Amino acid sequence: MKRVAFFPGCLIPARHPAMEFAIRATLPRLGVELVDLDGASCCPDPIYFKSRDKLDWLTVAARNLTLAEDLGLDVVTNCSGCTATLSEAVHLLGDGELRERVNSRLARIGREYRGTSRVRHIATVVRDDVGADAVRESVVRPLQGLKIAVHYGCHLLKPSRVMQVDDPDDPHLMESLVAALGAEPVRHRNWFLCCGKACQGEDIPAAMMRDLLSTVHDEHADILGMICPTCFGQFDHGQKRVGEMFGEDFHTPPVYYFQLLAFAQGAAYDELGFERQRFKPECLRAYQEA
Amino acid sequence: MSAQDDVVRIDFAFKRELARKIEGNLANYCYQCGACVGDCPAARYSDVFNPREIMLKVLYGLEEELLGEDSVLWECTNCYSCHERCPQQVKPVEVIISLKNMLADRGGEPGVASKIIRTFQTTGRTVPPSPAIDRQRERFGLAPLKPVPMDEIRAILGLEAEADAREERQP
Repeated sequence: MKRVAFFPGCLIPARHPAMEFAIRATLPRLGVELVDLDGASCCPDPIYFKSRDKLDWLTVAARNLTLAEDLGLDVVTNCSGCTATLSEAVHLLGDGELRERVNSRLARIGREYRGTSRVRHIATVVRDDVGADAVRESVVRPLQGLKIAVHYGCHLLKPSRVMQVDDPDDPHLMESLVAALGAEPVRHRNWFLCCGKACQGEDIPAAMMRDLLSTVHDEHADILGMICPTCFGQFDHGQKRVGEMFGEDFHTPPVYYFQLLAFAQGAAYDELGFERQRFKPECLRAYQEA
Repeated sequence: MSAQDDVVRIDFAFKRELARKIEGNLANYCYQCGACVGDCPAARYSDVFNPREIMLKVLYGLEEELLGEDSVLWECTNCYSCHERCPQQVKPVEVIISLKNMLADRGGEPGVASKIIRTFQTTGRTVPPSPAIDRQRERFGLAPLKPVPMDEIRAILGLEAEADAREERQP
């Protein structure tokens, strides 16, 4: 068993517990033991909190990293936002002067950032430490014929100098994980677009999501697969709004990858919380009945 | 700059303030090539957002245009494509976030940001815990959300010191 410090963040445990359930159901079966990080706070979020004060943001991130350092374990994230914040923090804290400034604040609570834990998104752990073959072997319900459009989102891949996960212009991580489920990964023309959650105006994200969903639709994909809960919210709740704004119904259910994995490993459709989604992946039911 | 201006006046006070923010000084390396624009989704979908123009305004220190009423900073998607593309490692997105720090210092932060930060300062999370979410978690066999040690968070953010100072100011 590979042991990792599990950093669930805010969105998944407090808004999408079905995703956390899926992670906890699937990872141990792949030989990854998730050790809970007591005392962890929000990463903190790389959009709003970071925009208020970068030094505060870096200090809170460093505190979270020290919790994993205490356990001598790498940090494993399940949200692209947490991945971005914590990876960026490790990168920035490589600078001695900045590390000193942050550590002088952490000293108030008897903590010190040492830089001994790596930060990795679970999708990366599955690719590198588990491997696609082991995922394929864990599947009892191959999703043969299911077309899954791949949505990477931004912060798993970029900035690549910091994230060091995959080629941001031609990534393969998600395609290989989707293929391991027996499904067909689909790279649509607008695969590289962003979900737009960080924009304050409505126009940019709406137009962007419309273009993205329309190329997913062109490829006749059944599902939009993703690894970030923020992107998920945009494409579930937001898709409804985009449909109303443009008078189009793309009807593309977004699904978090680890729920797909849990389903392929044999979890029942009704166990996975899909009833809470605005766009439900009903197409999966056929695989349960087969 | 207005058409009457013959000389570019650089606001160095603005630039020095920006340089005190983490990675705020990086715009100085910008040579205006525009590599950031081609891949910028906000620029593709908006007539007003252009990361090269934002970096140019930073080079001049045009505070009013960057932090004024019609600031476009919050149209940035935070996608990091500009960071990826920049041959000078300016990290335009990081410069933009540093500018947002300056906007926050001036009280110009959007309401949605203030709300999320208040939630963090009271719960240590950006999505607050609630009995409803714990019931939902229970359905999935998940333990209730654990409280965050807020004394630690307040100490490292200096929130205790701020509260003490406020109390001292009270008559």
